Amino acid sequence: MNSNNVDLTNCDKEPIHIPGRIQSHGFLVSIDAHSLLIAHVSENIKSFLQIDAQALLDAPLEQLEQLLENDLQISQLFKLGESLQSFETISPLPVQIRGNSYYLIISFSGPFYLLEFEPVTIQYDLQNKIGKSVSEILSGKNLRSLLNNTAKEIKEIIHYDRVMVYKFLEDGHGEVIAEVKEEALEPFLGLHYPASDIPKQARELYKLNFTRIIADVNSTSAAIAALHESAAALDLSHSVLRAVSPIHIQYLKNMGVESSFSISLIAHGELWGLIACHNYSPKFIDYKAREAAKLIGKIVSSALEYREDEEETEQNNNYQEAMNFLTQQLSKDESIVSSLSKQHYSIRDINAASGVAMVFEHEVTTIGETPDASQLRELFDWLKVTMNDSVYYTHRLPEVFNPAKEYKKIGSGIIACILSKDLDEMIVWFKPEQITAIKWAGNPDKPVMQSENGLMSLSPRNSFETFSESVENTAFKWTKNEISNVMKIREKIINAINKKAGEIRLLNERLKRAYDELDTFSYTISHDLRTPLTSIKSYTELVMVSNKSLDEKGRMLLGRVVAGADKMGFLINEILKLARVGRAEIELEQLDMDKLIRESVTEVTAPFIHTNLEVVFGDLPPILGSFPLITQVFTNLISNAVKYSSHAENPKVFISGTEEGDDIVYKIEDNGIGIKVDHHDKVFELFKRMDNVKDIEGTGVGLAIVKRILEKHNARIWFESELKVGTVFYIAFKK
Amino acid sequence: MTMSPDIFYVEDDKDFAFIMQYAVKEVNEGLTVNIVEDGNLAINQLLKYAEEKQKPKLILLDLNLPGISGLDLLKRIKEIPFFKYVPVILFSTSDDLNDVKSSLEIGANAFLTKPNGYHNLINCVQSMYDFWFNQNRSIN
Repeated sequence: MNSNNVDLTNCDKEPIHIPGRIQSHGFLVSIDAHSLLIAHVSENIKSFLQIDAQALLDAPLEQLEQLLENDLQISQLFKLGESLQSFETISPLPVQIRGNSYYLIISFSGPFYLLEFEPVTIQYDLQNKIGKSVSEILSGKNLRSLLNNTAKEIKEIIHYDRVMVYKFLEDGHGEVIAEVKEEALEPFLGLHYPASDIPKQARELYKLNFTRIIADVNSTSAAIAALHESAAALDLSHSVLRAVSPIHIQYLKNMGVESSFSISLIAHGELWGLIACHNYSPKFIDYKAREAAKLIGKIVSSALEYREDEEETEQNNNYQEAMNFLTQQLSKDESIVSSLSKQHYSIRDINAASGVAMVFEHEVTTIGETPDASQLRELFDWLKVTMNDSVYYTHRLPEVFNPAKEYKKIGSGIIACILSKDLDEMIVWFKPEQITAIKWAGNPDKPVMQSENGLMSLSPRNSFETFSESVENTAFKWTKNEISNVMKIREKIINAINKKAGEIRLLNERLKRAYDELDTFSYTISHDLRTPLTSIKSYTELVMVSNKSLDEKGRMLLGRVVAGADKMGFLINEILKLARVGRAEIELEQLDMDKLIRESVTEVTAPFIHTNLEVVFGDLPPILGSFPLITQVFTNLISNAVKYSSHAENPKVFISGTEEGDDIVYKIEDNGIGIKVDHHDKVFELFKRMDNVKDIEGTGVGLAIVKRILEKHNARIWFESELKVGTVFYIAFKK
Repeated sequence: MTMSPDIFYVEDDKDFAFIMQYAVKEVNEGLTVNIVEDGNLAINQLLKYAEEKQKPKLILLDLNLPGISGLDLLKRIKEIPFFKYVPVILFSTSDDLNDVKSSLEIGANAFLTKPNGYHNLINCVQSMYDFWFNQNRSIN
């Protein structure tokens, strides 16, 4: 590949497992597994064994064994390794070369065995330290303290300047979530790194080899010599000395790091993260120290897998608790909205949303962080046309719905569920954009530089920009559990709504029945009261007529009995009329209103014939109605108008009807005493009469009858009135 | 042999029946009125009249009667050919349009709402008497 074109977006393609070079702090020899001849030799072998690499190529394995001055039966080790399918229990083998201690590490590489020699450095009692560290690490009660302890203990054991725990997030980018460092160093805690900083093939190698050491970024790597063209193709995936990608070297140099060491953290078979150790001077720790670190890595891996599961379970349990609580609330006799939003748990608690907006019965309710009202309106409208299923979710809303860019910080992820498409009822949960709080400690203006050897010099800041573009507008994905909770709660809510609707329908029917019963009751009771009342009156009159010995006073008293009976009879008749309206099945017919009204006027004005009452008619267009009932309406209203204006100087009643849109509106206007404002809402109530009409005949039933008749006709009645000026009653009939 | 009265009146309300007797005498001292309390008694009495070829001049029926209702009674009377030309008047506290309609449909000659009070009753009987006994004699 052309190194000129290397940058952080294309280093994914670099074949880092076959660099054809190794780090120069040790040396490498490969043996052909079939022939046991030496196939590859790193060129720096000369500085360890005083022999040219070329001289060893194609030589038998024994020649190497002789050079090593140790009584090593390497071919026997190969056999052992073959039978175990691994060299893990065999490596490392202590080897003395020219008075110095080395470890021999053996591994497989396709048709070859790799023999790698690297110096022994360790002096301290590792076993003891590890035991102590592990118990220290595991004392962490939660994931965070587990990881903090890990960073601290690793630093204790291998003494790097900086030890970080780096976690890969779901899109592959990483975050420093724990850190222990030398005080003088800038903290990296909380920093995010783009996925491309640790390219895919590198992540694969971290899964294969749980530790990786880069001893000195400034040392020159050693080439691997081979007799055949295959040298460059020697697979160094399992090599401990594998040379570092020049891009990564440059990356570390940009950070000022001179050596690094990392330990893989694996959970559920995937690379969960890394314990990344940085040193600001060259540093090498030997195989045993690395194995110790690896052991800690494995322990931490299984602990964090467990803790993470545990925390996830706990989280899910919390969601479940909220679900159970809400389900219970919904089954209670409260409003849906208050069941879901006003209690100890709300619908926000069934997933990791930071806000919820609910539109129900045309009211929008929000909990937590949500977009503003107009933004919500726009989103609801969009969802209504977009959603084909009852539940919709995305963790990249601004990418599919442009207006969401305005509120990507709080709503990059949404999950929505429709309660009723017809009524526009739905619930939307919001998750924030996940890079909102990202920090980067590099120089933001540092450009990509071309160094003298033609390599691109990359700055961390530059890589950050690449990164921030790729994860903008993105929230954490909705988990299966979160989605299923939304589906479940939707079902529960719909059940509750249906149940409530059923209850209301039932109540309505009961009310209707009660109303009917009341009508029947009023009818029966008035009817039954009439008979004894008639007796009272009749007997009284009979006595007055037939008893000749009655004196004037007796006659007067009996007269009062008759008058009382009459008054009561009148009242009973009125109630009977009212009850009858409720019982009547009305039959609509075209009514000649001109005739009907003029006849009503003739009837009710008869007692006023000798006054100066003036009745004026406007247009009286026909309407649809029941003749006897509409006659009652106008008789009542006109009679009121006449009655209450009779004390005016020039009593005048004006009656007319006009078409207004879909209605025919009749008005009956008088210049009478008017209705007090505080009495306005009582006008149509049964038996309600104003104080200022005490001396005018009336029962307080008339307008109640009028209102009921008009309700039966789906007509509306209202009025305008001013005391001592007059009253106008309006009736709007449907055409 | 039972003499048929001028007015055969079916009324379960004793008070009304009592007052009615006074009112009838007030209108015309010579008018006779026979009052029975329920539908069964009425039917029996009427069948007896029919047997003896005695015709009351007017039959007054209360609408709300125990046992057989006024309307049913009316139907039964109209089924007896002998009374074909005897006017039957429904006499009721009710002024429900449906009652009026069904009575007339079955063949009532009139539907009168029971007047309120003695004086009104006298007026009512008076006009009844004037119409059915004097002006409209021919139908008997």
